[in-house]
Amino acid sequence: MSGTICPRCSSSDAVSDCQGMEDGTVIWTIYRCVVCCFSWRDSEPPSAIGLGVRSAAFAVDAANLDHYPKILQQ
Amino acid sequence: MNDLAKRAREITSLRDFLALLEEAGQAITWSERVMPEPDVRNVAVAASRDANGAPAIVFENIAGYPGKRTVVGVHGSWDNIALLLGRPKGTTIRELFFEIAGRWGDADAQISYVPEAQAPIHECRVESGINLYDILPVYRINEYDGGFFLGKASVASRDPEDPDDFGKQNVGIYRLQLQGPDSFTLMTIPSHDMGRQIMAAERTGLPLRIAVMLGNHPGLAVFAATPIGYEESEYAYASAMMGAPIRLTKSGNGIDILADSEIVIEAEMQLGERVLEGPFGEFPGSYSGVRKAPIFKVTAVSHRRDPIFENIYIGRGWTEHDTLIGLHTSAPIYAQLRQNFPEVTAVNALYQHGLTGIISVKNRMAGFAKTVALRALSTPHGIMYLKNLIMVDADVDPFDLNQVMWALSTRTRADDIIVLPNMPAVPIDPSAVVPGKGHRLIIDATSYLRPDPIGEAHLVSPPIGPEIDELSKKIRSMQGGTSA
Repeated sequence: MSGTICPRCSSSDAVSDCQGMEDGTVIWTIYRCVVCCFSWRDSEPPSAIGLGVRSAAFAVDAANLDHYPKILQQ
Repeated sequence: MNDLAKRAREITSLRDFLALLEEAGQAITWSERVMPEPDVRNVAVAASRDANGAPAIVFENIAGYPGKRTVVGVHGSWDNIALLLGRPKGTTIRELFFEIAGRWGDADAQISYVPEAQAPIHECRVESGINLYDILPVYRINEYDGGFFLGKASVASRDPEDPDDFGKQNVGIYRLQLQGPDSFTLMTIPSHDMGRQIMAAERTGLPLRIAVMLGNHPGLAVFAATPIGYEESEYAYASAMMGAPIRLTKSGNGIDILADSEIVIEAEMQLGERVLEGPFGEFPGSYSGVRKAPIFKVTAVSHRRDPIFENIYIGRGWTEHDTLIGLHTSAPIYAQLRQNFPEVTAVNALYQHGLTGIISVKNRMAGFAKTVALRALSTPHGIMYLKNLIMVDADVDPFDLNQVMWALSTRTRADDIIVLPNMPAVPIDPSAVVPGKGHRLIIDATSYLRPDPIGEAHLVSPPIGPEIDELSKKIRSMQGGTSA
């Protein structure tokens, strides 16, 4: 684990999935939280990915993932 | 056949269509360097302010994606839809509606197969080290989406219980969220064909393999979103509606795919597994919730050389989503209604995928428009989507909202409405009572008509009395026979 903190659920279990490269320089990195499945690019505006800056309405409570409904149940 | 119609019928791929659009001033290349977020979204939203004339926009200088291209807005305006249908720019929405309605059931499908080795889609193939974030120049479509979505993917799949049936093979547009370099979730509902296939696969334990096509023949992108019957082939339907051949080939996992698409992602569902998906800024203009959705593992990717990644901006309207599916939501409802009620003269279900629909009808008798409205609710699309229906007379053009407002103002009585409580509803309708259940509204804005005079005529008085009773007995006694 990279220890990168997820801006949506604040878990510290995000992994790096891809880096955008130009002439050997890293332009951005895409991260994915393995707890809440949020993914983001570190070049995005703080309003979307800033810890404590993002709208709280879109936060996910990592301790309460069971309450999210499962689609297509038999 | 005029030149425009001929050109439209010669389209075999996204590339052909982009060339046609560019000639007509309906596709532009964005060479200025853009960040994936928020620049691509901002440009797409700015373009979609012009629902009539917005061009497709090809981004060719995206930071971190050197040499890769993304296109948005291919179906983003009525002018682009007109050119796809072989009509000139400036054709009215009403004319486009009747262009499509007139083609319904009018032609046969022309489907040909291209050997896999000769199919442009298989020019390049990736079977190991797959990283979709690298292959596709993705961007966050709306600011609070839960990740990177493919919003304009046509997903082809076979019925897991009847994999050899061509017609039951489904092609539909479903939103996909990348969930790692080689995984994605797919969002659907039980009433959609894909939802039905996923539930069948999980019930029986049979594998469900799919092919996700990106950057497709623009006709398929339109018709894959059209609600047609489960056993009808979207390929055959698209070919018939375009009046042009469709070239198919096989994906590596045995599914019929378009031979000339830009990119195809082959994947298999992980039976019984669900991971968090969403939110996603959806067509009602609000975010879906976070839900647990089926996850698919990518097994291979094929693409053309120098592929163009086609995506969409979707959110609070007006957006490309509305022009992409508006008329092809309206036309099937029109055709299905006219099978029973030829009095229906037009259907406008452009608004939020038909959450509001306007139907014009020649009122046959008092209350007839309401009967037609109730039939509309039982069409395949109406079952889930037609939430608000406004019924107008045939002298009102449902595509002219000024005329519709006139009918509402002058022909509607406040008690001449029907509210149907607790009906099925699309789960992402923000006004639902609970997701998936809500009320329907029918406003009868047709003019007052007298009832048929049934019950007002003098009654027939048939003969009665002892003589008739005796005659009844005599008839029974003459019948004879044995008791059965």
